[in-house]
Parts: sequence; C-alpha cells; structure tokens
Amino acid sequence: MDPIDAELALAEVRIRRDQVVTSTLVPTWFWPTVGALMLLFVAAVESGVPWLIATGSALYGAGLSAVIGVVAFRSRVQVRNALLGPRGALAIAGFALTLVALGLGLAFTLQALGLPHPATIAAVPVALGMTFGGPRLMAYLRRLMLSRPLAGAR
Amino acid sequence: MTGVEPRFDDLIHAPTRLALVSLLTAAEWADFKFLREQTGLSDSALSKQLTTLEDAGYIDIRKSFVGKRPRTSARLTPTGREAFAAHVAALQEIVSRAGLEITP
Repeated sequence: MDPIDAELALAEVRIRRDQVVTSTLVPTWFWPTVGALMLLFVAAVESGVPWLIATGSALYGAGLSAVIGVVAFRSRVQVRNALLGPRGALAIAGFALTLVALGLGLAFTLQALGLPHPATIAAVPVALGMTFGGPRLMAYLRRLMLSRPLAGAR
Repeated sequence: MTGVEPRFDDLIHAPTRLALVSLLTAAEWADFKFLREQTGLSDSALSKQLTTLEDAGYIDIRKSFVGKRPRTSARLTPTGREAFAAHVAALQEIVSRAGLEITP
C-alpha cells in the first residue's frame, strides 16, 4: 500500500474522531442559560416572598428540564468513556467543586458580614464562572480527547 | 505504538467502512441518524455497510425506543475494536516505514 494512502486513511480516522468528540460536547449556550436559571432561582428563594419562591422554583424546574432535555435529545452519539479518562473526569469534578466552593464560601462570608441577599450576590460569580468557564472546560476536554492514541485507550 | 500486532484489514479499509468504524471507535454507541449525517450515506447504503460490519462480528446493532420514537444505534464489538486497532497499527507501520511522520 502507498504510504501516502495510509497517511490519508489515518487522517480520515482522526477527522471522524473529531466529529464524534465535537458532537458530544455541551453547546456554548448551555452554560449562560443554566447560570441565569440558577441565579433567578436563588434570588427567588432568597426573596422570602412565597409567590416568588413558587414561581421561581417552577420556572427553574421547567427551564432546567427543557435545557437538559434539548441537550439530551440532540445527543445521537456517546463519546467513548476511555477517551475522557480519569483526567477528564477530574477536570469536570474540579470545575463543579470549584464553583460550589466559590458560591458557598462567598455566600457565607457575605452573610457573616451582614450584607443583604448574600446567596444571590454569591450566585453572580458562580453564574459568570459557568458562562465563561464552561466553554473553556469543553475546549480542554476536546483537546484531551483528541490527544489520545487513535486506536488506543481500550 | 500501542503494542498491537499490525494487521491490515481489507474489510475495514473500504472508505465508507473506514469512516463508520472510525466514528464508532470514538463512541460507546452512535445513532443511525448520526452515522448517516456524518458519512453522507443514504439509508440503504448505510444499512448495507452496517450489515457487512455486523456480519463480520465488528459491530452490534441495537434497536430501541426513545419515548415513542424508534432508535437504531450501533456500537463496536471487542472484536471490531481489536481489528480496528490492528488496522491502524498496520497503517502507522506503513507510514513509519516510508519515513513519514506519524501522528499518534
């Protein structure tokens, strides 16, 4: 076989893997949408007004279900777990834990300082973290998955 | 290299099947529609290629329902994964022997 043809075949394999990886990443709009929903929910709950809590909770539940439903329904392929690997799983867990720690830490600090609406204020940087950090996390995961050996990771 | 014994596989190397197996090797499973969109094959052409791969024991085809909608999906079997790894190793060996640079 011609080595150039072999290299072209390997390039085809790489392109197809890229297609799978790209298809499975969470879309960019997901992050600000979930961040905004979370912010509205926290603000509604912290208001202490019963009808606002009820409305905010209902909107949050419906909105989150719709967003996750759209992402799940679009999903027509599941990327191989081995491509993500422990590093990918750790990156996802680290991202989530960082945001939780940031939100809780800031909220309790603001509460201790006696500021009004500590949870809502603390949710703002968390929402921003999701908006700007989410796409960066996806970019990292994409790079990580595409760096795996072509037919390795059994 | 990955330690896999290189073995050129004519069945996999056919262009459309190479595309399909390459997609499936990166996936736990893939929907029929996804494979059709990515390869640009017609329903009948895709079915034919998937059946060829299934007959060789390289893929499993599963039919299920998502809500009320039927969904057909495919996944690579361990045999198919091994065959693909050996095929890639063979391609890399050919490239390497020619002194070309191999992307891992």
